[in-house]
Amino acid sequence: MLLDSLRKYYQVFVVSISEMFVWKLNFVLWRVRVVLQLLLLYFLWSTVFLQQEVVFGYERAQILTYIISVAFLRSFVLSSRSVDVAGEIRDGELTNFLLRPLSYIGWWWARDAADKVLNIAFALVELSLLWFLFRPPLILQPNIVLVLAALAASLIALILYFYFSFLLSMAAFWVAEAWGIRFLATMTLEFLAGGFFPLDILSAPVFRALQLTPFPYMLFFPAKIYLGQLGVGEVLTGFGVLISWTVFFVWAVQAVWMRGLRTYGAEGR
Amino acid sequence: MVAVQIEHLKKHFSVPQREAGLLGVVHSFFQPKKKIVRAVDDISFTIDEGELVGFIGPNGAGKTTTLKILSGVLYPTAGMVRVAGHIPWRREEEFLKKITLVMGQKNQLLWELPAMDSFLLNRAIYEIPKEEFKQTLEELVSLLEVEQLLTTPVRKLSLGQRMRLELVATLLHRPRILFLDEPTIGLDVVAAQNIREFITAYNKKTGATVLLTSHYMGDITQLASRVCIINEGKLIFEGSLAKIVDRWVNEKVIRVLLTNEPNMQELSEIGEVISYQFPRVEIRIPRAAAPGAAARLLQKFSVADLTIEEPPIEEVIRKIFTNSKR
Repeated sequence: MLLDSLRKYYQVFVVSISEMFVWKLNFVLWRVRVVLQLLLLYFLWSTVFLQQEVVFGYERAQILTYIISVAFLRSFVLSSRSVDVAGEIRDGELTNFLLRPLSYIGWWWARDAADKVLNIAFALVELSLLWFLFRPPLILQPNIVLVLAALAASLIALILYFYFSFLLSMAAFWVAEAWGIRFLATMTLEFLAGGFFPLDILSAPVFRALQLTPFPYMLFFPAKIYLGQLGVGEVLTGFGVLISWTVFFVWAVQAVWMRGLRTYGAEGR
Repeated sequence: MVAVQIEHLKKHFSVPQREAGLLGVVHSFFQPKKKIVRAVDDISFTIDEGELVGFIGPNGAGKTTTLKILSGVLYPTAGMVRVAGHIPWRREEEFLKKITLVMGQKNQLLWELPAMDSFLLNRAIYEIPKEEFKQTLEELVSLLEVEQLLTTPVRKLSLGQRMRLELVATLLHRPRILFLDEPTIGLDVVAAQNIREFITAYNKKTGATVLLTSHYMGDITQLASRVCIINEGKLIFEGSLAKIVDRWVNEKVIRVLLTNEPNMQELSEIGEVISYQFPRVEIRIPRAAAPGAAARLLQKFSVADLTIEEPPIEEVIRKIFTNSKR
């Protein structure tokens, strides 16, 4: 039973990889954008450190390690193709999935897994090249416990982001222009997740407020664990908030999905 | 055994309304208006196992909505439905493995990849054992003559080719009940005929139940032993095609091929002349009077050929629709 079920989603995984190879150029261009963004941040921060040794309480190596580890985290935490869910709901493509004995959310998990595997592979190659070219001073975390904790946090963050993104897309059950919501969300999300700078350089009240939202746990939190800049208490509280948000979004997706299906009109052609 | 049972099925949609133009946009932004559309409005009928039933109606009559409810995609507003003993919208795995819905205008084949990838995907999704998959695939592929098409990306294929592959993909799990929504839409005469022949053969061979919608009468007259006619969400007729003729047709048409120019006065005494273009004449006669009228025609005119025909089924259906609107 379980094996059959796994085979289903494995096959979706295989098909998704094959499809991505059809869209080779698309994928390569996407990665070029990612690299350009990383280079931009890298040079920006390098320039800032030309004048000073310490900026906002960070040393050069710390910031650069932060930027690069966030770039790596982004490649698998914030990569999800569930953006397309909105379109499939609006155009009635969802019908094709409802007809078959297969979980739609499972389908997207398998598709995302394919996406993430390719993205990680590319990110590793790109980052090694960049390291080779610029030889930035990087911090290698010697404490294996911290590395494992950072890894665990990013895996939970990945689940959190998947359900967050899926929830946004499901707005398409009710409004025709779900992409507007999506646009706003992606713009703010990278910023609030700490994709451009470490969030603790913000003023203390803003930073404290931000820590109650799910966003800092997607990139900032795992990166900070890796850097070894959080105390045991902070790490534990962080995990608590992260897991609570994840449970909430998993629940919300199930609840909204059940309601959405009732209003689903299977329109379009 | 009853395959499909529908009682007092209703499906109402609330549809946003908007006036045209900029003012309409502004107005609907602040005061959105909605209208309730009764897509399906109290329909009841049953289909026995192995039957091939045609579902006819003009665009927007509620045919597709009914099929989508029967296959579990839509929730009904009210009413009772059982398909193969299941409540469709619960979408139990066991139910989904027994049915299929083929939509003429929507493909489940993966667009960028060759059809074989979609077949393998469906094999995994439906958990079809390897041997069974191989055998079914071989059968379907040879019945639909698609051997040559399996390795070409789907988007490179013609509409007719895609439809045949779509049928393979949707039948791989050997469903017992088939819902076909406009399976011949957009196809040329030959391709449509191929699909029709396949559907008949499949129904005969596997004994599967088929419910088919179409607005091509050819599909229905050729395929279905029984029809349900639906208009504006309501079922207005259910029964065999012969029963339609009995109930709705009270006239026959006599077609005559003349050898000499006739006296029009005498001709119109026999019946209503619907068309005259020498040497062809068409006369409409009440059903009971048809044999007598034919005899008189042969007596009074020099006739090369004469046939008595039922009016074409399209015309009959059109009459039913216009009557039901009044």
